[in-house]
Amino acid sequence: MPEPSVNESELRESLKRCPEAAVQAAIAFQKTRDPSLVPTIVFGIVERFVEPEVRSIVREGDEQVRLVEDLAIDSLLMVEIVILVEETLQIKIENEELRSLRTLGDLKTYLNAKVQGLPVPSQGQSLNFAEIAAMMPHQPPFLFLQEARIQGAVAEGIYRISGEEAFLEGHFKGNPVFPASLMLEALGQLAVLQLLKSEVDGLKAGEVDPNTVYFVSCDGVRCHKVCRPGDILEMRVELKKVHSPLAQFEGFISSGGQRVAKAEEISLTFNPKAEPKEAEAAEPS
Amino acid sequence: MRNVVVTGMGLVTCLGLDRPSVSGRLRRLEHGIQRFQPFIDDPKVPISLAAPIPGFQTEGGDPEDWTFPSSLKLRMEQIRSLSPNALYAHYALQQAVADAGLELEDIGNERTGLFTASSGSAGMTYFHMERLKRVGPMRCSPLGIVASIAGTLNFNLSAMYKFQGASTGFVSACASSGHAMGYAWDSIALGRQDRAVVVGAEDFTYETIVPFAGMRVLSPSEDPDTASRPFDARRDGFVGTGGSVVLVLEDEETALARKAPIYARMRGWSQTTDGYHIAASHPDGDGLRRAIEDVLRTSGTEREAIDYINAHATSTQAGDVSECRALKSVFGVGKGPRISSTKALTGHALSLSSIMEAAFVLIGIRDGFTPGSAHISQLDAEAEGLNIIRESVEEAPQLALSNSSGFGGANVCLLFEKPECG
Repeated sequence: MPEPSVNESELRESLKRCPEAAVQAAIAFQKTRDPSLVPTIVFGIVERFVEPEVRSIVREGDEQVRLVEDLAIDSLLMVEIVILVEETLQIKIENEELRSLRTLGDLKTYLNAKVQGLPVPSQGQSLNFAEIAAMMPHQPPFLFLQEARIQGAVAEGIYRISGEEAFLEGHFKGNPVFPASLMLEALGQLAVLQLLKSEVDGLKAGEVDPNTVYFVSCDGVRCHKVCRPGDILEMRVELKKVHSPLAQFEGFISSGGQRVAKAEEISLTFNPKAEPKEAEAAEPS
Repeated sequence: MRNVVVTGMGLVTCLGLDRPSVSGRLRRLEHGIQRFQPFIDDPKVPISLAAPIPGFQTEGGDPEDWTFPSSLKLRMEQIRSLSPNALYAHYALQQAVADAGLELEDIGNERTGLFTASSGSAGMTYFHMERLKRVGPMRCSPLGIVASIAGTLNFNLSAMYKFQGASTGFVSACASSGHAMGYAWDSIALGRQDRAVVVGAEDFTYETIVPFAGMRVLSPSEDPDTASRPFDARRDGFVGTGGSVVLVLEDEETALARKAPIYARMRGWSQTTDGYHIAASHPDGDGLRRAIEDVLRTSGTEREAIDYINAHATSTQAGDVSECRALKSVFGVGKGPRISSTKALTGHALSLSSIMEAAFVLIGIRDGFTPGSAHISQLDAEAEGLNIIRESVEEAPQLALSNSSGFGGANVCLLFEKPECG
């Protein structure tokens, strides 16, 4: 008779309250380290920690499901999930890597690479609303960016049209439509964020002074679809060229898989932050 | 200085989880002490009695294993940071806020403070430390600290109910929740807050109660009907309990303006320290005497006007004697105020006891009785001459003191006055 795995009872104890399929997968994984078991294990662990009312969302396994916004996983709960995943998969997860995981799909892709010892795909840098607001010169009620992710020259952002926006009362009377001019503004704001955070074309993050970024021009604008309260503006800008003090971007907006708007060229002007002078930095004698 | 009134009460005690139940059992002197199986089953534990809390089971370090009344709704992230005492406190707080005629939204503002008292959670500390040493910190719950340390009450409650005024905790052992009441009173009287939620809570767990057996202060009695008997000559230690009591204190004008129900006016409070010993109280009750004199003086109250004292008396030999001496030195012998220790019914709730007994005084004021001192078959000689009532009296106290004393010789007195139209 083969000895039962010494870890099995400990594993069961650690994974108590996880779905049985996840426990079985974890036991099998201990023996085989078969990466195809990873999603069952990880989604099972996530399911165990989220509120009962969102467990079915995890079970459906849609990779677009967002950990914070859809599943209400806060940073401390995420740590508990990570501890259990580390223990079960016998891997080490770095805090820095964790910060970039936004969706169930990100988590799956990341852990797949981890267990196979492959390089971890970069997810870029995700920013929540508080982080965006802390960085941007724009502030509510004139900040049209609720989440963003920046990776290289590309920035993606989200704005959900709540219907509470004051301007919708007059745009238009009895017929709230998100103004096309503000769609362009929202794209411009995402471009500003990209400029402040990115490290491309010789620009370093934090080098641009946020209070010196202004709009210069915009060409090739087309709108395809009207957006209303309840719609989500899914924005994407790509930094095409930096020639200080000018930066050029291309921008798109879609919503629910449909094209909404496009701007072929958005130009912003900016000043780099003043370099601290050596003499001023020195201690007075 | 502004007047301070008590407008809401929430109870998680061995006598029940609502005021009518607790009031009835206090009036009829029905105790909450039982033979407690986990103690009986452990041959190393020399005691067999405790006063558990009905409806709650909080043994073990995993809050998801605990049971509590289903009317209390907590989210996963709120459950995972709990200590047992914070769990009881959630229940008591929600009850107290509703009792005060308020919504939970009414306490999440800058004018409301949170004043708490617990000794932290020995059980949670043990659970997390044992795991820490076994598997290392990187495999331990990130919430272990906030669930364990003294302060777990204010962390959990201020996060859940969005308190924006004061939030602080008091750690003076069995005087702790008296200190919380006192500083809440100060905050309102001085105009710093209009309202204060005062919370006393203590784990009902092995780790909180059994260490007192090692101090030789728990009753080894096996008879739940007589084990806790403050002022009895043959008393042999206290019986452990836990739970939570929450009182809502308000500026009197604020309370009257919203036509709030008023239990009593809190006329004042006092605190002193024996300056004597780490655990034992001063043999002549010197610190407690000074505390009683101080609350009378600072509130402008004649000692003859006091008609009820809820004593600290825990049913230990030394402690009850020193309190008797303190009481005699202030009130003399003969026809003094009625005195009882409700610990005969509840056992000793440690950090919770002061506010729990304050609540019992308030229940008596509201429901028109003075609870008796149960289980005395032979009065201790030191208690001779004090008006210790063996049965409940069908008369509400007009001016009542509640005494508490804790380790380090800390003494707190709270003074309550029956409302005129109550």
